[in-house]
Amino acid sequence: MTAERAGAVLEVRDVHVSYGQIQAVRGVSLTVPSGSLVTLIGANGAGKSSTLAAICGLVRAKRGQVLVDGEDVTRWRSHRLVEAGVVQVPEGREILATLTIEENLQLGAWHQGRHLAEGLADVFGRFPVLADRRRLPAGTLSGGEQQMLAIGRALLARPRILLMDEPSMGLAPMLVDEVFGVIERIRAEGTTVLLVEQNAHRALQAADHGYVMETGEVILEGPASELLANERVVEAYLGEAFHEPDPAVSDGGGRFPDAAPPRC
Amino acid sequence: MQQLVNGIFLGSIYALFAMGYTLVFGVLDLLNLAHQAVFMLGAFIGWLLAVEFGWPLWAAVIGAVAAGAILGLLIERIAFAPLRGRPDAHFAGLISSIALAIVMVAVALGIFGPQTLRFPPGSFPSARVSFAGATVSVLQLVILAVAVTMMLGLNWLVASTRLGRAMRAVAENPRAARVLGINVERVTLITFMLSSALGSTAGILFALAFNSIRVEMGLAIELKGLAVIIVGGMGSLPGAMLGGLLLGLAEVFSVARIGSGWRDVVAFGLLFAILLLRPHGLLGRKRVREV
Ligand SMILES: Nc1ncnc2c1ncn2[C@@H]1O[C@H](COP(=O)(O)OP(=O)(O)OP(=O)(O)O)[C@@H](O)[C@H]1O
Ligand SMILES: [Mg+2]
Repeated sequence: MTAERAGAVLEVRDVHVSYGQIQAVRGVSLTVPSGSLVTLIGANGAGKSSTLAAICGLVRAKRGQVLVDGEDVTRWRSHRLVEAGVVQVPEGREILATLTIEENLQLGAWHQGRHLAEGLADVFGRFPVLADRRRLPAGTLSGGEQQMLAIGRALLARPRILLMDEPSMGLAPMLVDEVFGVIERIRAEGTTVLLVEQNAHRALQAADHGYVMETGEVILEGPASELLANERVVEAYLGEAFHEPDPAVSDGGGRFPDAAPPRC
Repeated sequence: MQQLVNGIFLGSIYALFAMGYTLVFGVLDLLNLAHQAVFMLGAFIGWLLAVEFGWPLWAAVIGAVAAGAILGLLIERIAFAPLRGRPDAHFAGLISSIALAIVMVAVALGIFGPQTLRFPPGSFPSARVSFAGATVSVLQLVILAVAVTMMLGLNWLVASTRLGRAMRAVAENPRAARVLGINVERVTLITFMLSSALGSTAGILFALAFNSIRVEMGLAIELKGLAVIIVGGMGSLPGAMLGGLLLGLAEVFSVARIGSGWRDVVAFGLLFAILLLRPHGLLGRKRVREV
């Protein structure tokens, strides 16, 4: 199924999202080229999840456009986007705890019924632990296993663009490694990935390109390698993470000086 | 034995009605108080098709079921869909569905009038079957078979089909369902249609069983249906089946053993007693739901 899951280009143009009075996203623009892994980093409340929600049709963008392969999908509803291959692994996994693991996966394939058996075999091959417990309620899985289920469920939708919202959140370092291994493999198979992370160091190491968000805006962007070396990024988001890969450290909400940030 | 048969018979109609209630509640967390009006209209529409239009009885029943599904669609569109997204949507939906029920009752009153309608003599097969000391009519057997088939069918649908999985996903976490690409609005609509089809089936079966159709018949069953789903466990389909059967049996036995004046006292007293022992209902689970 790898070959059929060819990537697509995603473009976000000047998107605004508000919740009542709260302006969560204020004019964000992103480009995610076909087959690339792009990361979106930033502190708590920066507007990363809201940006993803606008892309997926889960909230209405107040202004701006979302384009997939050049087609304007801004007004599409979420089920139509999933059908078109724009699939999200949501923040906090959102697995359906009372349904079985297999039922969760079957729901992932909601629009891909014809490919269900093939997709299930693929996901069970990637995550054998899910195969062993397929008939158990998904709520019985550990946090790391639930994350694998959430990723597997998204893969069953045969994504062309996979949006991942903090997949390493709350996982032990070893599991974080495993999750990043999974992400890199998905990307290597040709799926375009937009990865939202608080673990900025790991995300930038894996990504081709990065965007840094703060209070609803993109304040910095550039090739991931340059962002990794960028003093401000190091200071605000990476900190000691360079020496001690502890996700908690990168949670600290960094503040950039008001001066215009360098556009790399 | 005769009472047991009668109790199961009456209980299966209660169960069918209550399952419609609990389906919408379980999947959507909404209480649709227009359900009783669907029950009443199901009876009238079945009567209209059979008596006025001269359809055979089986076709009239199918017609009433289909009409119920359409009523469900209208109820969702009129009383619930416009409120979606409001923070008080649950409470507002409760009120707007009561209002819609009043409209539906008024329409039925306008069309059919206040008198009790009956199927003309000779509408039903008169054959009776005796076994193990009880006598049942063929009509009763058919009614029971329809009710049981629909109950089992619904359970199967929710437990084992793609649509049922989607309904359970929406029940547990609508946002997650949306993320997975499920068309939550469509699942909502289908849930209402199924629910109302059950309600109107219960209505036409009740009308056939007692050969009596009145505009107020919905009000009489409304409270019983609500009691049944509370006792069964809110949102639990098997709970609604069990609760409905219990209520039917309790009513029949109290009428036979104590007297008809005591029917509601015994039936509802029993339900309270069950709730004392099992506060979440017979098959209910403690549900922790985030807003
Ligand atoms: N449904 C909502 N209603 C109201 N405000 C919201 C809602 N969702 C998010 N917000 C607000 O919008 C802002 C951006 O939130 P968002 O979840 O997009 O940030 P984030 O970058 O994903 O943060 P985190 O790293 O904590 O996940 C925050 O101020 C948040 O409180
Ligand atoms: Mg977030």
